[in-house]
Amino acid sequence: MVRRILHIDMDAFYASVEQRDDPSLGGRPLAVGGDPNRRGVVAAASYEARAFGVRSAMSMAKAVRLCPTLVIVPPDFARYKSASQAVFSIFREVTPLVEPLSFDEAYLDVTENAWGEVLGTAVAKRLKARIRADIGLTASAGVAPNKFLAKIASGWKKPDGLTVISPERVEPFLQQLPVDALWGVGPVTARKLRARGIARLVDVRSADLQLLRDAVGSLADWLRQLASGVDDRPVVPNREAKSSGSENTYPEDLTDLETIRSEVAEMARHAIAWLVRRQLLARTVTLKVRYGDFTTITRSHTAPPTRDEADLTARAVRLLDKTEARARSVRLIGVSVHNFCGEGDADAAERLPFQGV
Amino acid sequence: MELVVRKNDLLRELQLFQGIVERKNTIPILANVLMEAKGDQVSFLATDLEVGLRSKCAAMVSKNGALTLPAKKFYEIIKSLPETDVRIAEEKGGVKVAADRFDSRMQTLPREDFPTLPESGGSPSAALPRAALKEMVAKTHFAITGEDTRYFLNGALFVLRPDTMSLVATDGHRLALVTVPRDGKATKDADEVRAILPKKTLGELARLLQDGDEDIRYERGENHLFFDVGGRLLISRMIDGQFPAYERVIPKGNDKHVEFERDRLTNAVRRVALLSNERSRAVKILIDRGKVDVTSSSPDLGEATETLTVEYAGGPMQICFNAQYVLDFLSAVSTDVVSLDLKDEVSQAVMKPVGAEAYEYTYVIMPMRV
Repeated sequence: MVRRILHIDMDAFYASVEQRDDPSLGGRPLAVGGDPNRRGVVAAASYEARAFGVRSAMSMAKAVRLCPTLVIVPPDFARYKSASQAVFSIFREVTPLVEPLSFDEAYLDVTENAWGEVLGTAVAKRLKARIRADIGLTASAGVAPNKFLAKIASGWKKPDGLTVISPERVEPFLQQLPVDALWGVGPVTARKLRARGIARLVDVRSADLQLLRDAVGSLADWLRQLASGVDDRPVVPNREAKSSGSENTYPEDLTDLETIRSEVAEMARHAIAWLVRRQLLARTVTLKVRYGDFTTITRSHTAPPTRDEADLTARAVRLLDKTEARARSVRLIGVSVHNFCGEGDADAAERLPFQGV
Repeated sequence: MELVVRKNDLLRELQLFQGIVERKNTIPILANVLMEAKGDQVSFLATDLEVGLRSKCAAMVSKNGALTLPAKKFYEIIKSLPETDVRIAEEKGGVKVAADRFDSRMQTLPREDFPTLPESGGSPSAALPRAALKEMVAKTHFAITGEDTRYFLNGALFVLRPDTMSLVATDGHRLALVTVPRDGKATKDADEVRAILPKKTLGELARLLQDGDEDIRYERGENHLFFDVGGRLLISRMIDGQFPAYERVIPKGNDKHVEFERDRLTNAVRRVALLSNERSRAVKILIDRGKVDVTSSSPDLGEATETLTVEYAGGPMQICFNAQYVLDFLSAVSTDVVSLDLKDEVSQAVMKPVGAEAYEYTYVIMPMRV
């Protein structure tokens, strides 16, 4: 049976909430984020700011250089969160099959829906109208027979867009896609594929599988599937967390190893507090370090599942030995935990003491 | 393509492909077997891109050619036929399979869509004794996880040295290692060759090794291994990654040694495990002067115990294992007596067959916390 999948993406979410709540900001280039003099980063940019080339994750200093009239607003996550909850409660009126991807983005399976609409397009139109009327924000929607096409469709026309890929239009749509339109194909992978003569998504179909595997490894089969428009992944409501952690960009580069160590330990404790709240154990702890010159590395360590504070903290701090934090200045530190299991799974799961596995 | 082949010859080969073709059906052509008829034989090839198999059988070929057929359906049809000659002929857009008074037409997929597999260089780097290889696979295969995110544990490590070969598998909780001697003087081996073989490869290898007695010709390609088993060629990808340093988890200083009659221990563990905790499957082994108690208890079910007489003069101790891990070992060995070597209740235990001659088998189990 053909499914009707929606991907809804709120337009410039944080920035739009700010413009909604303060009409004086309307129509002006706006960035939500940190202080440019304290090395803040753009968390979101309004469409007016995007016209100047301002993008999220860009340093605020650069954003101001690109757009001298930029209005900078410090983030107020509490307000974004309540707007997000309002949006999601509208989604859940239509179907329980809502899979959040973030605060401002979700998949909906509306093959069957509480509004009794036959067409996915009609559901998308009504959702957009409701979000505008009730919450005062705009969203872009993609309607397609599966998740990957729906997601590409929602990005096709923004802001306030609605792009529909009906089953009979899947093939012509696929024909025009570059290979990096795909989820999971970043610039590096795209470069590798292009080097092998694969520029369009449909080129993947005829590419030699071995060649494909050499280029993208285990992604090869998945790419093949997507290239023929097939994506059977269901919409999974309330996706469970796969990792948790935090990171911080410092106002000034850190050079003192003791300070760096105590920052790492502090972040590890945050992650552990999260594990305690969720009643989970983690096998893997990952340290992320961005040096003064913006090069970023991650180092991980895996051991038997635990949420023991001394153990996890010590492992996170020891990972610093595998970085150049001693010799180079550090701009950003992040610590996260992954590979969760419940307590019940762990007591039976005594592991052989392999090193570094 | 047009040929006549004996039903039993065809069936024997097709059977070997049933485990090879892809089950998940994500790529339709991988559910097919490629047949190529030429001269006086028909050759077969199937693969799931991880493991591939090439084989052939005699046939009367009246027209050369190649086509692909769904391996499973084709096998079912051939299996259902009486013992007679099977006529296979390519027709427009399909293939005719007929025998006796039976007639059928099957859909094919384009031969051009079939993936190409790496070719062996034709110069095997080593000959492996069949019986020994069979033992090795049977004694390690069950310990491979298959579903682990640490993907290198989804295979077994094959280590080939001039005078020995080993296979090691672990799921992180227990480890099985078999080493057998070999006479590798006349080969062009480097000192040591290591490769991680997928679980599926070992399963298919075990199937191919069942009949026959000649040596297996082995060759290592860039990313693949080739096993020539009596003219059938198994082609396997190697798993990338570093297999964990398994030597380090095999304990050396286990000073408490107990020997069991294998049958008695097997029966005791199997019976007692019936009342073990259903999730953990924990059985406790209580060792004391001259006897061992195997016990279990489950809050929901009850408890059980069985006492075995052993020769043991050391101090009392206890250790707890997942019953399945113990039973896996006991059913993989065939000696009358097995040994258990312990250090304490939290360190790795080692089980070995006592009196095995042709191979050395070491099975390491991590105890459970009591």
